[in-house]
Amino acid sequence: MAVRIGRRRTRAIVMNGAVAGLTAVTLVPLVWMVLVSFMPRYASSRFPPPFWPERWSLENYHELLVRRLYEGVWFDYRVLPALWNSLWVAGVATVLALLLTVPAGYAFAKLEFRGRDRLLKLLIASLVIPGQVAMLPLFLMLRWVGLVNSYAGVILPSLAGIFAVLFVRQATRAIPDEMIQAARLDGASEMQIFRTVILPLLAPVTVTLAVFTFLASWNDFLWPLIVLTDHAKYTLPVAVASIVREHAADGELMMASAVVTTLPVLAIFLALQRYYMTGLLGGSVKG
Amino acid sequence: MLGMIPAAMLAAACSPRRDPNALVLWAMSYQGDYSPYLTTRFTADTGIPVEVQSIPWTAAHEKLLTAHAGGVLPDVLMLPNSWISEFQMIGAIAAVPSPTLVSGLFPGLVEGSRISGRDYAVPWSVAPLVQYYRRDILEDAGYATPPVTWDGWRTMAARIKRRRPDDHVFLALVNYEGWLFTMLAQNGAYPLRERDTRGNFRTPEAREAFAYYASLFRDGYAPLASSTEIQDPLAAFAAGQFAIWEGGATWLLDMRRRAAELPPERWGAARVAGPRGPGPTSAKDVSLSVSTTSHRPAEAWALVRHLTSSESELRFATMISTLPARVDAWDGLDIPPRVLQPFREQAHDLAVSPMVVGWERIQIEVQLIAERIVRGLMTIDEGLAEADRRADRILAKRRSLVESGRIA
Amino acid sequence: MTPQERTAWVFTAPVLTIITVVFLAPTILALALSVTDYSIYAAADVRNISFVGLGNFGELFSTPLFWRALGNTALFAVLGVPMAIGASLFAALLLNDASVRWKPFWRVALFAPYVTSVVATAIVWRFVLNTRFGLLNYALDLIGIGPVDWLGDPRSSIPAILIFVTWKIFGYNMIVFTAALSTVPTHLMEAARLDGASRWARFRDVTLPAIGPTLLLAAVMSVAGFLQIFAEPYIMTMGGPAQSTVTVLYFMFDEGFKWWNLGQASAVALILFVLILAVTFVQTRIGKRYEWL
Repeated sequence: MAVRIGRRRTRAIVMNGAVAGLTAVTLVPLVWMVLVSFMPRYASSRFPPPFWPERWSLENYHELLVRRLYEGVWFDYRVLPALWNSLWVAGVATVLALLLTVPAGYAFAKLEFRGRDRLLKLLIASLVIPGQVAMLPLFLMLRWVGLVNSYAGVILPSLAGIFAVLFVRQATRAIPDEMIQAARLDGASEMQIFRTVILPLLAPVTVTLAVFTFLASWNDFLWPLIVLTDHAKYTLPVAVASIVREHAADGELMMASAVVTTLPVLAIFLALQRYYMTGLLGGSVKG
Repeated sequence: MLGMIPAAMLAAACSPRRDPNALVLWAMSYQGDYSPYLTTRFTADTGIPVEVQSIPWTAAHEKLLTAHAGGVLPDVLMLPNSWISEFQMIGAIAAVPSPTLVSGLFPGLVEGSRISGRDYAVPWSVAPLVQYYRRDILEDAGYATPPVTWDGWRTMAARIKRRRPDDHVFLALVNYEGWLFTMLAQNGAYPLRERDTRGNFRTPEAREAFAYYASLFRDGYAPLASSTEIQDPLAAFAAGQFAIWEGGATWLLDMRRRAAELPPERWGAARVAGPRGPGPTSAKDVSLSVSTTSHRPAEAWALVRHLTSSESELRFATMISTLPARVDAWDGLDIPPRVLQPFREQAHDLAVSPMVVGWERIQIEVQLIAERIVRGLMTIDEGLAEADRRADRILAKRRSLVESGRIA
Repeated sequence: MTPQERTAWVFTAPVLTIITVVFLAPTILALALSVTDYSIYAAADVRNISFVGLGNFGELFSTPLFWRALGNTALFAVLGVPMAIGASLFAALLLNDASVRWKPFWRVALFAPYVTSVVATAIVWRFVLNTRFGLLNYALDLIGIGPVDWLGDPRSSIPAILIFVTWKIFGYNMIVFTAALSTVPTHLMEAARLDGASRWARFRDVTLPAIGPTLLLAAVMSVAGFLQIFAEPYIMTMGGPAQSTVTVLYFMFDEGFKWWNLGQASAVALILFVLILAVTFVQTRIGKRYEWL
């Protein structure tokens, strides 16, 4: 009996240790990113690489974020404007995506209409087409309607949310039909049913979808890179990418720009992770 | 609720406010980073604000093309001379309105980028190549200055190699096309034929150039290394791993900054060696153009005039070591005469590069073939045939358009 | 039309229109472009385009770089899918163990890399993989392995990028597998343990069949994802060194946006589409065979 407990205790130590170790290794790059960003210039170009700053310095953030006057000329990496641009673009994209896909998902799940099943099959089939096939012609099409270098051009492709529609549909199927039928018998219109019965039940799904969409739009890199040519309009990943290409040797500055890009996203994720995880896990797993 | 959608989309189409009065200038790399120094003077003189955007070279071609596709090219843009004909063909750049903008420049520059008798860009800097050499290593082998003939180079290289068997003589990276194309230009091997629609690499002149290039590697004078293996050429040059480096004027900037590693007395500059004496070198000269979609062409050309004035070009020379395209500006350069002399002579002897779409791709492909040749994976004749094949393929569209008379 | 139908159309028409305009129409346009020689000459004058049938495809197949890109992409997929799925499964199994405490905390921490931006983390990892000053070589040095030129040697560039990609994405499938593992029938597990089956046998005979379909789906989606790798080579190595990290999508991007050969680039896009379709088809067949789907 004592051996049994001892073995269980050992196992617990080993397993927890393994998990802790894996987590530590996973988080090391992110932690190092933050630490290096506070090091003075060129301090990290040493072997062995320093892990802890000898001297904490805000100079990298200052250089990155603040417009500096140097010999009568303003120099600016335009990172803060890019941050606002990203916020704006991601926010609008999320709101629009929700408006478009949540009602559609519900319709495919619960409403009877001609061609529903055929349309559904078409949607599932088109999941196989990689998005990049459409990229080049879509650029040409944007050019024809004059949407190159505009935010509408950046947001538009992300609104084709096939995956989101199917995701909402899957979640809506769990709602019992009787509830909807009962509301219909009570004389409620379809819109009212959607607003008062369905939407509250879909709240967790909506939050998950919102977080997904916001993160995807924030981190989107390739399409904004192609569509936006004006550096005043750059979103954060594009702005940072163009800095990186030129300043590959300035490790500390690069880490600072990486921190600025990652921090908002991590903050949102940590704040809403319960919903996000629930959405992904489908509510089947408890802590 | 659904009515919010069009409203939201309208909001999305709006963009952050920017100064509508500002002229927009796009330039690459150093020119892009340091142009604000030049434009503040312009703004002070004329009251027109200028917004400068710096683009990395690696993304420049796509950024310019997508901007043109979207009709959002800047008022003034910097272009390497080899891209001028391409951008003129797609209607992106406007003709130079006044001949005074292109007067007083090095002769080869303007003629080289004229299209159908008209100019579409104003040369901004000239970039001749010279050979930088390590004085001490050459003196040790009995040379006060490096030879300027191909045979002379080989003789010197043999002597240096005998004394320093572990080092190399020429820093010619196998993924850098400058050396080979300079040799082609010097030997009079114009790389394209039939109105620039086919490759012309199977001529005796081209073969001689390729053979000479390959011989440098075969005899161990040049290393079988690319820029990923030698990431800091200046450090290698300073350490004596190489005696000769063929480069442009921007190296002067690095050498000034790192004078501690490589003191000025230890290096010198001379004309690049040619088959029978110095000849033309390939170059990466750049120019400024005004886009056809600019709303304020008069002001844009005024900005171009300001940026290509002697004072502006001299200021750039001090800050980023680009050589002015204006001949009279050279009198004010702060470079020791013995170093400036080879640059000056070479600037009067510029190679004529084909001005066709796809020329850059052809250069990249041919250099890849050259790398295979020097690594012994291909013979020279096989390589030349393959170079012609690839050039023909890249120029196929041009060929069909020329044959059907749609292009002059 | 019934009220249901009316509402349904109001609800679905907007998103379906956008999907058609933004996704389906361009795909058809890509088909059309791929049989023309649309190039920068067409940007000058639309009349410069001509129909070339399968000419683009023929040219692609005789372009060495295209085959190189295909090979690199295949290597990415063949090495990357086991790495990523394996890492996710390993993490999920670890977390699933009954003796582990504070599971929600570990889950969030291990998932964190997934939500970060590729650009930002590629920058960080470029530094981590630095030959002289990077953390990875430092760690290897501590256990006596000499410095590896991760991003400068053509032979190690793909593994280097894969290490980064695995780190970034393993959290997602870890969560998916965690959900799947919770469906493993506990009574079967108990029965197997009482029968004295080894841990491996328990895994193979009880766990694996239960999570089989999820594993397969994750693998299918992973392959499709790896075949579309672009941002990582673009930021970390620019396709180098010596074109060893040029992928099909990178090739397409260069061909299409750098040189404006949209005809050829569309041909590449279609080939990519066919590849993904083929892989999906093969894997669904395997799934049907093992009755996992």
